[in-house]
Amino acid sequence: MNYILHLLIMIGIYLILGYGLNLVVGFGGLLSLCHAVFYGIGAYATTMLMMKAGWTFLPAVGGAVIITAFFAFLVGFPALKFRGDSFVLVTLGFQMIVFTVLYNWVEMTRGPYGIPGIPRPSVAGYEISSLPAYLLLVAVMLGISVLVLFTLYRSPFGLALKALRDNEMAAEGLGKSPVHLFLFAFVIAGMIASVAGSLYATYVTYIDPTSFTLDESIFLLVILLVGGSGNRLGPLLGTVFMILLPEALRFLGLPDTVAPNVRQVIYGLVLILFMFLRPQGIAGKYSPR
Amino acid sequence: MKQEGLKIKKVSKSVNGLRIVDGVTASFLPGRITALIGPNGAGKTTLFHLITGELFPDSGKVLYRGETITCLSPYRVARKGVGRLFQDVRVFENLSVYENVASACYKHKTETPWFPFFRPGRLRTIDQQISEKVEYWLDYVGLAANKDDSGSDLSYGQQKLVAIARLLAGGFSLMLLDEPTSGLNSVMIRKVLSLLEKIVEEDKEKTIVLVEHDMSVVREIADWVYFMNEGKIAFFGRTDHVLGDKEVREIYLGF
Repeated sequence: MNYILHLLIMIGIYLILGYGLNLVVGFGGLLSLCHAVFYGIGAYATTMLMMKAGWTFLPAVGGAVIITAFFAFLVGFPALKFRGDSFVLVTLGFQMIVFTVLYNWVEMTRGPYGIPGIPRPSVAGYEISSLPAYLLLVAVMLGISVLVLFTLYRSPFGLALKALRDNEMAAEGLGKSPVHLFLFAFVIAGMIASVAGSLYATYVTYIDPTSFTLDESIFLLVILLVGGSGNRLGPLLGTVFMILLPEALRFLGLPDTVAPNVRQVIYGLVLILFMFLRPQGIAGKYSPR
Repeated sequence: MKQEGLKIKKVSKSVNGLRIVDGVTASFLPGRITALIGPNGAGKTTLFHLITGELFPDSGKVLYRGETITCLSPYRVARKGVGRLFQDVRVFENLSVYENVASACYKHKTETPWFPFFRPGRLRTIDQQISEKVEYWLDYVGLAANKDDSGSDLSYGQQKLVAIARLLAGGFSLMLLDEPTSGLNSVMIRKVLSLLEKIVEEDKEKTIVLVEHDMSVVREIADWVYFMNEGKIAFFGRTDHVLGDKEVREIYLGF
């Protein structure tokens, strides 16, 4: 039972990340390889605010969102001078830089040692430490994020992003400002990722930089590639598939020595098959490459 | 005197040391269809780029309705009412026909991420108005039945109609049309031409400028013609006057 609750909590956290990134990748058509950066900054900022500044959970989440928005703006502004492959490479660069800083700035982040003993969140006097309570907290946060994002998806803002994605020159010719709209999308996606970071840090109660690597950014992108982006269903299918796939492979009963390798191979194969058979993802119409 | 229409004053542009547009002065008046003709490489499309802000001129000025629009970004030029039909059409392929046209209608203030949260009621009203507007213009260009098709499902001719509907619904008072009839069959050409004539007839505030290679099209719908050659305006005047000129015939028409 605990195992299932744990999976549901992780699915909830990744849904927040997936739906947020969908705004940039699915609506804006920009392949970002640094989404884990904002997830990480959110996690670290929440931890610092709670442990060093003594804030309670909800204010810390809010503070982390603002801090992450600032960093997303800092990254997005130069990155959005570029499109296509160059944009991918610039975001990759930021991913590397931030990881290196988190890893080496030992006085601030404790680097590779990580930060243990992060307090559990307490909301309105209740400490949330049991799994069902935590699942409820994640569900509420997910609900709020999804409500905000779905409103944006079908707003004039979402439509303008899709127009820019399909043909930037034509959309600009209709009065859409690419710089403003893309930057808004990028910063909002970062802020949403920060919320996921807050939840992760206080759920696991330990963070270190290896949770926010390039691998993680790629994983988030793969969620959208597999599930389909630019719509409401894709991130859900992608997240469920990508989180449950390795769990399902656990039950194959492989000997312990080869199991992790075989799982990686199967995982890779599934991705390749997707690129061949369904490049737009399970639920997608639009293929972001 | 009231400043009207589009005025281009001594605009020049060089690319890699080559003068593509060389001191062009021209004015395009509302209620009129003006054709820009000339051989390939004469600088017609470049002139469009200079008007819409895709390129900035090295010297000279572009004014629309008395306002300088030189060196504004394309989206700012567009917000002044300057709309463009691209030579390669550029419909939004993954959007429905409806969404294609609707995307042209929203004013940029409604396109901020916070607008749906702070003004939900206002947005519902706007959505409703725009939905009526889109239906009207889709009907106008004859695509009402294709409302839910996605952009990529349409024929090339239908895509041009969607692009024209975008300009009409978006309320662009200046329409720069880069070869609106190229690649169309004769039925579609007739459809586009009668549409353009209807547009200027019904709205005298609309200024239409088209780049066109088909002289029978120019003769049929253009009131006024600018003939460009080697980056300069070589001739201009009433359509029959320019097309009847001996030198124009020699340089361009070859007879």
